[in-house]
Amino acid sequence: MTAVLIADDDADIRDLVAFKLEQVGYDVIAVEDGQSALEAARRNQPALAVLDVSMPGLSGIDVCRMLRADETTQGMLIVMLTARVQEQDIEGGFGAGADDYVTKPFSPRELVSRIQSLLTRSRA
Amino acid sequence: MSSRARRTGSVGQLLTRAFSVLFVLIVIAGAAGITATEVQVRSVRELDDHVFPMRLANAELRAVMTDAQRALRGYLLTADTRFMESYDAAVQDFPGLADRLDDLVLTLSESTAVVTQVDRAEAWWALADQQRLVPPRSDQAVEYAEQGKNLFDAYLVENDALDDTMAARAEHLGRRAERLRTTTEASLTALTVLAALLALTAGLYTRRKITRPLDRLVRVLGELTGGKLNARVRRPDGPAEVRAVSEAVNVFATEIERNRRDEQEMARLRQSARELGITVRTHLNEDELLAEAGSGLGRMLGAEHVVIRLTGGRSARWCTRGAEGLCDRLAAADAGWLLDTAVQGSVWSVEDVRGGAGPEVPEEERRGFRDAHASGVFSVVFGNGTERLGVVTLLVAGDAPPWSLGEIRMAESVVADLGHGLTQARIYQAEQEVVSRLQEIDDVKTDFMSTVSHELRTPLTSIAGYLEMLVDEDPGPLNEAQTKMLAVISRNTSRLRGLIEDLLILSRIEAGTFRAGRDTVDLAWLISGVQAVVTPAADRAGIALTVRAEGDLRLDADSDQIDRVLSNLLSNALKFTPTGGAVSLTARREDDQAVVEVSDTGMGIPAGEQDQLFNRFFRASNANHLAVPGTGMGLAITHAIVRNHGGTITATSVENTGTTFTVRLPVLS
Repeated sequence: MTAVLIADDDADIRDLVAFKLEQVGYDVIAVEDGQSALEAARRNQPALAVLDVSMPGLSGIDVCRMLRADETTQGMLIVMLTARVQEQDIEGGFGAGADDYVTKPFSPRELVSRIQSLLTRSRA
Repeated sequence: MSSRARRTGSVGQLLTRAFSVLFVLIVIAGAAGITATEVQVRSVRELDDHVFPMRLANAELRAVMTDAQRALRGYLLTADTRFMESYDAAVQDFPGLADRLDDLVLTLSESTAVVTQVDRAEAWWALADQQRLVPPRSDQAVEYAEQGKNLFDAYLVENDALDDTMAARAEHLGRRAERLRTTTEASLTALTVLAALLALTAGLYTRRKITRPLDRLVRVLGELTGGKLNARVRRPDGPAEVRAVSEAVNVFATEIERNRRDEQEMARLRQSARELGITVRTHLNEDELLAEAGSGLGRMLGAEHVVIRLTGGRSARWCTRGAEGLCDRLAAADAGWLLDTAVQGSVWSVEDVRGGAGPEVPEEERRGFRDAHASGVFSVVFGNGTERLGVVTLLVAGDAPPWSLGEIRMAESVVADLGHGLTQARIYQAEQEVVSRLQEIDDVKTDFMSTVSHELRTPLTSIAGYLEMLVDEDPGPLNEAQTKMLAVISRNTSRLRGLIEDLLILSRIEAGTFRAGRDTVDLAWLISGVQAVVTPAADRAGIALTVRAEGDLRLDADSDQIDRVLSNLLSNALKFTPTGGAVSLTARREDDQAVVEVSDTGMGIPAGEQDQLFNRFFRASNANHLAVPGTGMGLAITHAIVRNHGGTITATSVENTGTTFTVRLPVLS
């Protein structure tokens, strides 16, 4: 089963995303901060990581940059999740190596379909 | 002055000496000439008055005697009595002629000669008187004739002797005159040559002694007037007058050079005062300004210490030679006594302080001056307008010469500039503080907006996400009432979301954050883009949409923002226009403006509410009443964008008939 990592400090959003992903059949690993996300990603090697940008400690962008720098995780698909819509934030996200960028508030349905399409494309 | 030069004497002495010699020579020549002439005249006179008359008288006497003797002899030989007539005539003439000759006698020898001659003649005459008595042609007569001949011959000898003497005398006089003439000529020639030589020598000497030093003097004067101020008469020589003039010229030149140096020094001072004034006027940091003024004044005027005391107790100082302690003490001394009593710009020198002409100097300050061994102190009060800002005190110690009036004036002008500069620096600093405070407030605001939007979005994400799952019936099927209620929640959730987005955008636009993104934008191209987006919506709503753009409509603008303006106006028009209505957008060029008009045939805006149209959260009452969705932020955002681009937006509306928005934007220049 494909594993997907969701990292968000807001439990409600974490649960929401986890619920939707599990609904479509992914194995979900949910963590609440950047450090845990980094450890979980290295340990569990999920196919895709959904990272909230604003997290205490390491930010989503920091985690993204570290994953990309690490040999074992550099091929991982990464979707950034943020409440910020300013252009420089988006550029920072892509600059750190994210594959997609979804702004809050988002439609869970749309998020899941984006994740599905990213995973399908990478498998193909 | 060299000893050689001293020997030369004055021009007067030189000339006197030369002319005296010439005068003596001329006098001698004259005297010689006169003497020679006189001697000649006398010789001639002697010849004329004495020698020649003597010879003439002698000859006449001889002639008379000869006549008498011949006549007597003729009578005696012929007995012709006619001879006796000549004889008698001679007898008559003889005494007169003998007396005349005697009268002409000058010397004893002449007298003796004349007397002897007359005696011999008279001896003959005595015999002649006897002869004439004897019968002619008698033997006695012959005898007498023999005797008479002897006596006559004796007479002739004397006569000849006198004539010879006189002839010799004439010859002697002639020779003497000739000799004298020759001698006179020779000596006059010699004297003339001597005089000429002397005159020449005097001329050359004068030239060497007078003209050369004068020439040097003239050259030096030429150099001086030509601007070569260090030119001097190196070794003044020549006559006393020329030396005196040379020395006077040297003194004069030294004076001029000193004046010139003073002028240059003054010009240098003026220049540095001007530069310092500019620095002081233009410096915008108060502390740096005071430091600059202190060090500048100190260097400019060679002051030991410069202390600037400001009203309110602050002070700045500038000291040389490690006298900081002393300086600090002076800086700490209260300057209130000066500030309270002194007129701004007034100056106190140490003389005033000592002499008591100015205000009473406090003992504390007096002690400071003494400790610093001040030889000169002066203070200038400065300020701006009527406000006194402080006092600058300059102090020079030891043997340093006191300041000149010019230097003090320079210091005053710099200090006056300090007053203006200080005020300006304070104003500038205050302004800077206001600006940075405003910047801080603005930063806080931006930060606040960003935080608020983030904080609002997070819960909104949960609401919207869980709502979507409910609507999608993920947890289970919904009944009709539940579906309706969830639709209401959905609608308000998205309204809330739109409101948050618009607020964030508006705050960014108002903060001017977007201004950087300007570029050349073709309004016509943007219009066609917006048209493509809204045409499906117009079609769905059954509204006739017409779009027309004409002319050169290129702007210097942020294309995203102008796109937002067009979208907002068009979507508003469509939103408020009922099915069957019409919406039109026209864009055209008017002078240097692009004019965009968006008209609809919608519900319009009540007249009383039109002035609030561009306010945030404004919703027309009729729109609210008909539950037309909206945040009330669209026109506020549109207005802010247009204003940011230097344009205007106006609206004309008639309720239930329609609304027209007119946007004017400056075109690309």
